[in-house]
Amino acid sequence: MSVLPDRRVRDDWFDGVVPACVDVDPQAHIESTFSFVPCRARAAHAVQIGRAAHVYSATIFDVGERGVVKVGPFAMLNGVRLVCESRIEIGAYAAISWNVMLMDSYRLPMDPARRRAFVERARGPLHALVDPDAPAQPICLRDNVWLGFDVCVLPGVTIGEGSVVGAGSVVCSDVPAYTLVAGNPARPVRELPRPANAEAP
Amino acid sequence: MHEPKQSLPPNVHVGPHSVLIGPQLFRRFFSERDPAVSVGAHCYLEDLQLALGKRAQVSFGDHVFAAGLMLLSEQEIHIGSRVVFSFHVVIADTDFHPLDPAQRILDAIAVSPVPGRLTRPPISTAPVFIEDDVWIGPNVTILKGVRIGAGAFIEPGSLVTRDVPARARVQGNPAQIIGEV
Repeated sequence: MSVLPDRRVRDDWFDGVVPACVDVDPQAHIESTFSFVPCRARAAHAVQIGRAAHVYSATIFDVGERGVVKVGPFAMLNGVRLVCESRIEIGAYAAISWNVMLMDSYRLPMDPARRRAFVERARGPLHALVDPDAPAQPICLRDNVWLGFDVCVLPGVTIGEGSVVGAGSVVCSDVPAYTLVAGNPARPVRELPRPANAEAP
Repeated sequence: MHEPKQSLPPNVHVGPHSVLIGPQLFRRFFSERDPAVSVGAHCYLEDLQLALGKRAQVSFGDHVFAAGLMLLSEQEIHIGSRVVFSFHVVIADTDFHPLDPAQRILDAIAVSPVPGRLTRPPISTAPVFIEDDVWIGPNVTILKGVRIGAGAFIEPGSLVTRDVPARARVQGNPAQIIGEV
């Protein structure tokens, strides 16, 4: 149990508290409240961290006002930035390496003239540059997904159960279950063995 | 929360309403040019790192936003106005070392802690220009000699090794045009 009754975190190097919108399972481990500094979610239970999940301090919950993040049981978040304006789900047993980026929205208009008008009025740090009209498409990592370091997952992507993404890859389309993908953009490399009790494709 | 401001080197010029934050900002700042760094108005540059050699010159326009941007410069990096850098972008206008293996041995000796009079062999550099209204995704790397045209959209994780036309959308390693915005 790392979150204390006053919502501080045990042995935290950062002076903060776990925000009210974040539910942490009593058996989950949080290294630092620094992870929640840019978390601006409004809804109750907007961020849910499951049983025996472990979240290390390079992980950043950059969650917008309408964002929802679910982290499954036994997931390990070793330094991922979750840029979330709609929904990001991470399944059970996930292994997510350092400097990984999961983004469900580009947060700014793609059209240069509209982006220009927005940026000219904007103030403050980069994570606050969010156009409420920018589209967002949920990201879903099913159970037992492994993302190598420096991976980017783009809006709308679903990664199937048991799949692995090689280091440095950029995933811009869905990944089937039990598949190793790599590259920028990521492409299937080979199939991975399915556990005996897994459903056939 | 905010630490007291450290005084800027005299050859760094920052415009009104601009904010520079970064514990590593000037750790590798060796430029003797003036201006070495010029920043326009209303910029917000968080966790910036300026690794600038003696002859390096870097400029930002107005309304530039970045977080974790790293500029590695031996010559010139020019950034226009309203350019948005998402997290952890790296721009280099130099190769850092000679490509030729024999020259690289001389370079290794020249930069070693062993005292000597060997100077570094010539190293290839070329300026980088990023025009106005460009969006650069997270974890993008931009290499020397690249010009990115106005309004271009660089997808996350791209490695940009060649010029990008205005309003082009590019992705990949190496970055290729995948459309227009």
